[in-house]
Amino acid sequence: MNLLESHKVTKQFGGLLAVNTVSLNVPENSIFSVIGPNGAGKTTFFNCITGFYKPEEGDLIFNGHSLVGRRPDQITAMGIARTYQNIRLFDDMTAIENILVGQHHRLHSGIFGAVFQLVGTRQEEKKALEEAQELLDFVGLQGKGDIFAKNLPYGDQRRLEIARALATKPKLLLLDEPTAGMNPVETVEMMAFIHHLRDELGITILLIEHDMKLVMGVSEWIVVLDYGMNIAEGTPTEIRSNQRVIEAYLGRGSDFALVQGD
Amino acid sequence: MKRTSLESGLLIGCLSLFFIVLGVTSLTGSLVQDWFKLSSPILGGWLLLFLMTFWGGTLAFKKSPSKSWSETLRTGLSVGLVAGIMLALTIWGLGTLNAQAVPIREWLVQLTPAAIAMLTMGRAPVVAALLMFVVMLLAGIGGAAWAYAALHYQWRSVLNTRWLSARESVINMSLVQKYQQHQYSKQIAYGVGALVLLTAPLYLGRYWNYTLGTVGLYVILGLGLNVVVGMAGLLDLGYVAFFAIGSYTMALLTAPQPHDIVMSFWLALPIGVLLAACAGVLLGIPVLRMRGDYLAIVTLGFGEIIRILSKSDVLTDFSGGPRGVRAVGGPMLFGLNLNNEFYFMYFIILGIIIVAYATHQLQRSRVGRAWMAIREDEDVAEAMGINTLKYKLLAFAMGSGFAGFSGALFASRNKFTGPEDFTLLVSINVLSLVIIGGMGSIPGVIVGALVLKGLPEMLRQLDDYRMLAFGGLLVIMMILRPEGLIPSSRRKMELHDDESEALVPDVLVEGGEV
Repeated sequence: MNLLESHKVTKQFGGLLAVNTVSLNVPENSIFSVIGPNGAGKTTFFNCITGFYKPEEGDLIFNGHSLVGRRPDQITAMGIARTYQNIRLFDDMTAIENILVGQHHRLHSGIFGAVFQLVGTRQEEKKALEEAQELLDFVGLQGKGDIFAKNLPYGDQRRLEIARALATKPKLLLLDEPTAGMNPVETVEMMAFIHHLRDELGITILLIEHDMKLVMGVSEWIVVLDYGMNIAEGTPTEIRSNQRVIEAYLGRGSDFALVQGD
Repeated sequence: MKRTSLESGLLIGCLSLFFIVLGVTSLTGSLVQDWFKLSSPILGGWLLLFLMTFWGGTLAFKKSPSKSWSETLRTGLSVGLVAGIMLALTIWGLGTLNAQAVPIREWLVQLTPAAIAMLTMGRAPVVAALLMFVVMLLAGIGGAAWAYAALHYQWRSVLNTRWLSARESVINMSLVQKYQQHQYSKQIAYGVGALVLLTAPLYLGRYWNYTLGTVGLYVILGLGLNVVVGMAGLLDLGYVAFFAIGSYTMALLTAPQPHDIVMSFWLALPIGVLLAACAGVLLGIPVLRMRGDYLAIVTLGFGEIIRILSKSDVLTDFSGGPRGVRAVGGPMLFGLNLNNEFYFMYFIILGIIIVAYATHQLQRSRVGRAWMAIREDEDVAEAMGINTLKYKLLAFAMGSGFAGFSGALFASRNKFTGPEDFTLLVSINVLSLVIIGGMGSIPGVIVGALVLKGLPEMLRQLDDYRMLAFGGLLVIMMILRPEGLIPSSRRKMELHDDESEALVPDVLVEGGEV
């Protein structure tokens, strides 16, 4: 069964077709990658899924419901969470607070509960805190809950961002270049971690990636975008030998060496 | 003569001239005269100029590369020389012009004959000029010598270590330690605080109850704005509008003119709060789609619109127009008339406690976290499942409601309200006290209100200089202590996290308690 279906999604900025009739089907419980050269429209496509952009044409179906026209917070509540290419944590909040914000839509206490410290609110807060602690441990940040997000090392910030996304209890997790800026050792760890996420938590993963090594190693299905268009689709082995993909990458230069080098 | 020291002298000389022209010297003179019951303002004025050059001497010493004794002397001398020549010429010039009855005041309003007489000490201009020159020379050398001594005898570090060890010994004293370890230590502190607050109005007297009452109303305003600006990060420059709405609601509902409703205070108060909160939401719905600077400008406009509307002829029949509303009703309880400064002080204290408690609890709740997330990064907050418009409106409504509460009390206590109570200055005042006290910090807001609202009230003479002092204070604060006077622990960590030594003593002290 497909968790996410994209039907001819098109997003235009002025005269520029950033995403041009992109169709794809993300099966449940898969690790699915979207790759492409710089400016191919990958992140724009992500923003269409998460509700920050409204596509001009086409439809996005998640779990049987259309996403088009919904607000980002509603889409998150439906079960889609994301991370960002350039990490965007709440810098001046602690690690644990960042995760608690991720839980926001699953909690219910409002102003009155907070001001009068109602029993329900106190219990909810206690449970939320425990859960946040578990998530922190899960991503390997034990004991770092009270550190401000901006003071964490780079790798930890990446992990915290994933923990925050996981706190929303997503069915589909969108990872926007999760290994950007990581060294080879960290990249390998991240690959293992992504596998772990899917196997352990049963979360479907949609990945945008530049790092060919990661994509080939981890993905089960790859879609290649170029100039906003879907130019190829297939398993890693198929993509590796696809003539159009090689052309798309060769045209822009150096990334081809990475494909070959693998 | 080093160029840097001459420059320091020039800087100090220009600053002193600036002070003379602005009338700061005359003001200092009269303040010192008042405080110490002197016969003339001369000492205060000259003291200010002396201290300026003295400071210039220390500045020049810090800048000079050589720290030898002879170099110190030369540095101080050149600062004193430059500043001395400038000031001596000024005094000579002003004195001569004044003696010839030239109307200097027509161009420089602060240079009254009295102010000039203070500068010349009532003597012949030449004598006064020479005297000033000598005094400035001494001041420059004195400043440099002071800095030299401070460097060579290390006063500061000695004092600092003494202070730290004294603090340590106080903390280690068994009594203090026992108190801190006592399980009810917090409750005892709260109890004592409550007792002081409850009895304070009894012995404060009329004037102080009124003055501190005003400060208290500003504390409520500050706590409300703290929710909007400090927690949710929405820069609202038209905050006074909601204060005005609360105030006018109370006034129009309880005063005999212009509507003759004469409702009970107890009914008008919640209506005022509610109306202000609703106004916050109504303004927020269109405006909160904007961010940052745009939001600030639109709210600024809204604040002015409300004030101008309340003043306009069109609404005279409805809101009393420029003359305002008189005979605003006060609270009655069990047939007892509570309408004076004394009882109002209790209302205000109670109001502060309620508002402070509510905001404190909210800060640590799901709602507070949502606000903080919006402040940090609105897009990401939305992507994390927060309905940002709803929470921004909530912050706006809460802040506006508190402002309405403060406004209703304000109108009822003063028994009057009018358009001139709601100028832009009120918004700026409240924002400044939140920033100076420490954004997001509840005790900070209280201290900020005392400093910004209480001090000017006590120093009435300084009224003309309030804006100057505000500006200066804000600039100095932003440079020296951007987290505010009493920062929330969070802000302190945010801004000074890399200066780990500032954090170490506290950690050690806390470790020592265990």
